[in-house]
Amino acid sequence: MGNIFGNKKTTRITEQDKAVLQLKQQRDKLKQYQKKILSVIEKDKELARKLLREGKKERAKLLLKKKRYQEQLVEKTDKQLDTVEQLVHDLEYAQVEMEVLNSLKTGNESLKEVHKLFSIEDIEQIMEETKEGIEKQKEIDEILAGVLTAEDEEAVDMEFAEIIRQNLPDVPVSDSNISEVELPSVPTEEPKPKNEKIIRKPVPLSA
Amino acid sequence: MEFTWPWEYDFPPFFTLQPNLDTQRKQLEAWRKLVLDYCRHNKIFVLDVQESISLFQNKAIDRQLSTEGINQVLESLLEYNQIEWCDKAKKQCLVYWKNPQEWGNLIYRYASDKGMTNTVCTFYELTAGDDVQNEEFAGMDQSLLVKALKTLEATNKAEIIMFGGNEGVKFF
Repeated sequence: MGNIFGNKKTTRITEQDKAVLQLKQQRDKLKQYQKKILSVIEKDKELARKLLREGKKERAKLLLKKKRYQEQLVEKTDKQLDTVEQLVHDLEYAQVEMEVLNSLKTGNESLKEVHKLFSIEDIEQIMEETKEGIEKQKEIDEILAGVLTAEDEEAVDMEFAEIIRQNLPDVPVSDSNISEVELPSVPTEEPKPKNEKIIRKPVPLSA
Repeated sequence: MEFTWPWEYDFPPFFTLQPNLDTQRKQLEAWRKLVLDYCRHNKIFVLDVQESISLFQNKAIDRQLSTEGINQVLESLLEYNQIEWCDKAKKQCLVYWKNPQEWGNLIYRYASDKGMTNTVCTFYELTAGDDVQNEEFAGMDQSLLVKALKTLEATNKAEIIMFGGNEGVKFF
């Protein structure tokens, strides 16, 4: 906030912007020039027509020559306009590219920063500690399991079975039907490979 | 499209400043509206007082607002921030049928619609370019354009570029 008097605030205008502006102004000037010439051509055409009506052929012809020359000028400015606009586009595109590159750079740098925060050793240590933790848990499980006697285990199993029985729906009692269902019989033979040719034994080639 | 004059325009007393202050206030209000509507319709950005004498007279009813009356109307417009003098002699004024802030917003909307943010534009292409012919700000006076862009500058939406005879603006 130091400079109250000068308006030297941070500008967002780059040197490229200035170059683009100059080119665009050149383009504007060319367009204005074209407009001027086109109006002159229009005027000459009218005038030539009028002269022809009045029978002044020579002068009309002269005017048409002048008109032709002006038309060539328009064509030339068209080409120049093309060049200028091409350059403007190139410049603007280069700026876009630069911005993309800059953001890639920033992205890359912050990725590096984040990577710096955890080293490989840290990760190895964490993984090691996790492994230890899992092993310890396993030990605890084993100790806890060991506290129960065989009878206890049996009681647990029974209770487990009881709960399952209560929760499961009853099996439909229709034994008589079972015999009526025809199931395919188990094949008695080993399945044969379909194509015998495949299991040809390798034969050594004669030299 | 023909400009539709308000009913007051065919009402002879409209062209004489009314002595009753209450009536005069209403009269001036109607005049202000007429000037703004007329300029909006004819896309007049800069009003030349001498040249727009026809606005203050109605030949059909043979009435004309006096010079004093015209001045009063203009003073009233100035009071309401609807005009701004271009010169000290008070010969020309910018007419704000849209104020600079509104113009700024309009131009900014145009620029962002066209994807022209982050792009440099010349003043010429904004007011006389082929692409803006159908925009309301086509043909805008440059001093008004600068005022409008300055309002954008104040909100960091644009920055005016001026160096060595080059004039343009960059939108953000």
